[in-house]
Amino acid sequence: MSRFLIQRPLPHGGRLVERVITDKEAAKKMIKGCPSYDIKPTLHYETGVPVRNVYREIMSICYGFFSPVEGSMKQAEVERILKERRLLNEWIFPYPLVFDISEEDYKQLGVGPGDRLVLNLKGKPFAILDIEEVWRIDNPEELAHLTFGTPERNPEVVREPFNKKHPGWVIYRSLQPVVLAGKYTIINEPKFRSPFDRFWYPPRKSREEFDRRGWRTVINHQTRNVPHVGHEFLMKCAAFTGDVEPCHGILVNAVIGVKRRGDYPDEAIVEGHEAVNKGGYIKPERHLPTIVLWDMRYGNPLESLLHGIIRQNMGCTHHMFGRDHAAVGEYYDKWATQILWTKGIPSYGFPAPPTDVPYGLDIRPQNMREFSYCPTCKEMAYSETCGHKREKLSGSFLRGMVAEGVQPPSIIMRPEVYKVIVKWWKHFGYPFCNEKYVVNKEKELEVDLEDL
Amino acid sequence: MGEYFMVVLLDDQRMSKIRGTGLEEHIKYMFGGELRLLEVKVSEELKDKILQEFDTARVDSRGAITDVPVAFMRELFNQVAEKKSLGSDVVEAVLAKVDEIKKAAEKESEYLPPPEIE
Ligand SMILES: [Zn+2]
Repeated sequence: MSRFLIQRPLPHGGRLVERVITDKEAAKKMIKGCPSYDIKPTLHYETGVPVRNVYREIMSICYGFFSPVEGSMKQAEVERILKERRLLNEWIFPYPLVFDISEEDYKQLGVGPGDRLVLNLKGKPFAILDIEEVWRIDNPEELAHLTFGTPERNPEVVREPFNKKHPGWVIYRSLQPVVLAGKYTIINEPKFRSPFDRFWYPPRKSREEFDRRGWRTVINHQTRNVPHVGHEFLMKCAAFTGDVEPCHGILVNAVIGVKRRGDYPDEAIVEGHEAVNKGGYIKPERHLPTIVLWDMRYGNPLESLLHGIIRQNMGCTHHMFGRDHAAVGEYYDKWATQILWTKGIPSYGFPAPPTDVPYGLDIRPQNMREFSYCPTCKEMAYSETCGHKREKLSGSFLRGMVAEGVQPPSIIMRPEVYKVIVKWWKHFGYPFCNEKYVVNKEKELEVDLEDL
Repeated sequence: MGEYFMVVLLDDQRMSKIRGTGLEEHIKYMFGGELRLLEVKVSEELKDKILQEFDTARVDSRGAITDVPVAFMRELFNQVAEKKSLGSDVVEAVLAKVDEIKKAAEKESEYLPPPEIE
């Protein structure tokens, strides 16, 4: 065996967190006589629009995407994350994750440390929270600033102060004051609706799938978009990194969560990626589109850290990062993520990259620039190797084309992918997320639950 | 006086509607000939009118007017095909329907008619 072969990393923290009870009788016994609470969406602190649903965090924690996190965080843990991006068990982690409720709900529930709270979703028992601590968020605005950083405190990468135009900042600003901290356990497995059901590969299942396919090396592609040919080339070409041969697999992991107007619908995103392999542009044997539930915080370098954790837990050896990774607006340097993974960002607690600090990550970053069409090379060319003037493919140009009902040429968007956009366009009456889609999505969520 | 223009994208469906109009010789190509387009001339005066009527509209560094409602762009193609022209008369004809376009644009944030592909 070559000493250069890269092996699949262990989950972050050493073992996968799995907190899902599948035995319904056992689950019923576990919740007998316990108080219950209907999960409510987090509403925008000014507009009242849903901006987050904690059910997505409970799913991602209990199925191990966020290993080694096991529940809603205690105050000391949140404080440590804000200071040095570490959990109390030392492992690195970027964001506070809490189960927050209003003072009124807290008073009405009358629960405290040692109590087990049943969490209902869509009127059905879904999970339990074993409360270990109750603490309060005194100043959500300060929490929001501490979560993302400020130009003064994080001069390496933060360019503008965060404000209510940043959807991630709004999530933290909108949290309720009472935090119930403790471990979550899912007691009634939700069922994903089509088309999401066939993209659900939580870490244990994805690792088994990699084994089945004989994938030792796997590179992840983060997405929140319907893929155009520029994305396709990033996926295919980043995979060449590998070890003694290109990566065996390309994992596409779409972040599914609260939507913003103008995004593509999640249904079109997952089926659009699937269409890339059904059309043979990337061999299905080498390509697997999947999902993770998460209301994006758009924290660029911090978000990339979470992405690294999720995909290492899923069994990936490599992670592709591009420009403006998981970014919105101009809050961060557009290369902030690549700076984190090549040099580190000391002000966030990383004097070295997250792969080079104690209790850090094992997944390897693959930092990429962009692909665009070169009329001289007559091919999709890489910005750092082609020396010609290229025809840039901007997302807004493509969106304008789609909105106008003009089919993009296949060198820009594969016809199979465009068909998926039109399929969901006909379904929703709109090619992008409109008000109705955004509101309905947070009402219906991605799952249904049976009676326990 | 500056030279302004608007880009009309051509897919197969639109191509079939301009075949034989004499407009074919004006087609420009991008992406290795895969993307076909026409450029419609816009006078200074009409450019100002567009910017005044549609607050999303912008002029880019090449003098292209962009970010007008989809309804505007659809009508722009219709007028190109009808008038068999790329001159300022096209935008003039589009602007003659400005009320109709604005009405359609209001609904655009919630509904857009999907293209007829199978
Ligand atoms: Zn070239």
